[in-house]
Amino acid sequence: MKLLSILAGLALALFNVMPAAAADSVRFALCYDLSKAYTFVSPQIAQAARDYADLLNAKGGLEGHPIELIVQDHGNEPQRGIECYERLKREGVMVFDMLSTPVSRAVLPRIMKDGNILIQSLVGRGDAVDGNVFKWVFPIGPTYWGQAANDIEYIKQKSGGTLKGVKVAFFYIDYPFGQEPIGILKTLAQKEGFELQLVPYPLPGNDQASAWTQIRRLNPDWIVSWSLSNMHVIASREMKRNGISIEKYIAVNWLNEVDIKNIGPDVAKGLKRGTNVAGGSNQPLVQEILKELYDKNKGNGDRKFTEDVYYNTGLAIYSIAFEGVRLAIKKDGWPLTPGKIKNGLESLKNYDANGLIAPITVTTQDHGGGGKTRIEMWDGGKWVPQTDWIAGFQDDVWSVVKEQSADYAKSETQK
Amino acid sequence: MLFRQAGIFHTDYSADRALFPIPADRWMIGSLLLLALAAPLYMNTLYLSSYLLPWLVWTAGALGLNLILGWAGQFHLGYAAVMGIGAYAAVHASRAGIPWEIAIVLAGITAAVIGSVFAFAALRVKGLYLALSTLALQFVMDWTISHVPAISGGTQATLQAPDIRLLGWAVTSDAGLYYVALVWCVLVTSFMLNLRRTALGRALVAVREKDYAAAVIGVNSFYFKLVAFATSSFIGGVTGAILVGTFYHAVTPEQFSVDVSIQALAMVIVGGLGSIIGSYFGAAFILLMPGVMNSFISWAATKFGFSLGIETLAHLPQAFYGALIIGFLLIEPLGLGKIYNNIRDYLLVWPFGYTKK
Repeated sequence: MKLLSILAGLALALFNVMPAAAADSVRFALCYDLSKAYTFVSPQIAQAARDYADLLNAKGGLEGHPIELIVQDHGNEPQRGIECYERLKREGVMVFDMLSTPVSRAVLPRIMKDGNILIQSLVGRGDAVDGNVFKWVFPIGPTYWGQAANDIEYIKQKSGGTLKGVKVAFFYIDYPFGQEPIGILKTLAQKEGFELQLVPYPLPGNDQASAWTQIRRLNPDWIVSWSLSNMHVIASREMKRNGISIEKYIAVNWLNEVDIKNIGPDVAKGLKRGTNVAGGSNQPLVQEILKELYDKNKGNGDRKFTEDVYYNTGLAIYSIAFEGVRLAIKKDGWPLTPGKIKNGLESLKNYDANGLIAPITVTTQDHGGGGKTRIEMWDGGKWVPQTDWIAGFQDDVWSVVKEQSADYAKSETQK
Repeated sequence: MLFRQAGIFHTDYSADRALFPIPADRWMIGSLLLLALAAPLYMNTLYLSSYLLPWLVWTAGALGLNLILGWAGQFHLGYAAVMGIGAYAAVHASRAGIPWEIAIVLAGITAAVIGSVFAFAALRVKGLYLALSTLALQFVMDWTISHVPAISGGTQATLQAPDIRLLGWAVTSDAGLYYVALVWCVLVTSFMLNLRRTALGRALVAVREKDYAAAVIGVNSFYFKLVAFATSSFIGGVTGAILVGTFYHAVTPEQFSVDVSIQALAMVIVGGLGSIIGSYFGAAFILLMPGVMNSFISWAATKFGFSLGIETLAHLPQAFYGALIIGFLLIEPLGLGKIYNNIRDYLLVWPFGYTKK
């Protein structure tokens, strides 16, 4: 019985613990998956966010207000993500980032109902770039549709301005993440006259043998790959086995230096990836962070992570978010409201975080900021840009976006 | 002490067969119900909407799974899929304009039909083989949802759920949604409590203990297994629909993935097979403990000033959580429900610890 009462007391104590917060700071909630599916990217992104926040705080914060980041694990479980959102919402946090497609989808109805800001770069519903429908959602960066269209644009440039007779294999992991670009690719194939072959492979992505046999038979000019991290490594092995040149391979943005190391830096020579951030630690912003924080032993994690492209991705997401909030304070003053932050983010114009990201311009209609990406090639030691920041086939991409967001808008009116 | 049995004499059968023959139990249940009913008055909305509500819904789900696992003794590794079928059915039905009250019944029926069609095939095998074929149900459902846009709602694979409407009234407040969950949980609980006393419940237990022994005494084990599958799928389907209606507000395949099936299974096993109060404990433990552990450890970290990396902070609760599950199951393999029962049994005869129970 005594044990029971101790347990009960402990349970009460457990429920009542919450950190208190300073009133004049700007708070961001990073409800991240730090323990399950997204661990290949979330630690680097969180580290970048915290580093950049420290850097800005050392300079006086956002218009005099310090930045406070609250990082919490939700284990990629929608239920725990919702809990994180509901708790922090009541503590006055207005900007949320879930960095997980399932969790972003799960909190979206609440975000839209409560009118808080959801940052969902690179995850969640792609059609949320439609700011007219998704007023509170900011998927700043490219959608997967936009990325796929940009890949095709690159292929078009490489094939001398026409895609007639070009064979493109779309190689993807067979679940919603991989299936997303199919629609836009089909539209573009019809419009531009290239031959598109869909080559799915099943979860968890370790077995790609049959997919690659199929690709070998087709002998495509290009392979556009929607895979995550280690799946690229397996793909490279299968390509070697089937005698397919790795130079034909264009990866989605989820391929980093760790994967390159696993493929083998020499073997990976010629591999391409689409990206919306410049890779490598030779960027001015990363250099500044290294000098101000890591050289003084004040970094928020392992120094080697700063060479990871996902670190730059994190910097990109948070430089945009912080800049948006700074503009909000500058324009509409303190105290902040979600409405002011929305205005702030929507007034971002040609912002490129010191050359780190594709210049973005966010408007009330376009919450994606233009969706520019570029293709980079691994030359054995570093990433070499192959194109400018491009955003191809915008009309087609937006017609897909509009079609999907209209469906969401319709379901909202049905309530 | 609490449960004074002295002076309780049952003079007729109905008193003897009452759900709670001991007054102390009745008092406890009554006051818990009152507390639950009054929860929106004294509990802040965070706990109400993010802890209590999902706990109640998942308890109903765990009870449904307990019916098949604890009562009928049949393994089911695809329970989340069954809940998912219900959720998708309800959302599609109410998007098509069918009133919500009917939509959730449709959800239950759809889940029951698909669940028992599957059971027809699955029940030809037993034990681990049955477990595997129910796992197949899970994967077939996952695949179907992600490959049929008409079900999943297009490439985004998210369907917004219309608001719950009861008799035309939209239920949107935290308290309203909580009551919907509470009513369903109480309904399922009372069904399960009464199941013990029915011929069906006894037949299920007979099947669980030894199905051919049951056949010898005239219980058609295949038929009762099928009934168990259908009933438990019905409960699962409606629970899935209510989970989406009151908590998620949008349905996506990941909400009902294989991980969730394993979680539901863990709720039943940690709670205790065939135990009703155990299902409550199990659901609370599996569902709420990770989050609670998480905030406890980050609180302790700031309080006692040990700085931990964010990744360590994320993994530490999992380690503790795992250790807790192992710990509880070592102390009492029959689950949290049995721990409660041990305490109750002890108090029943207190202070005479030596009395035969």
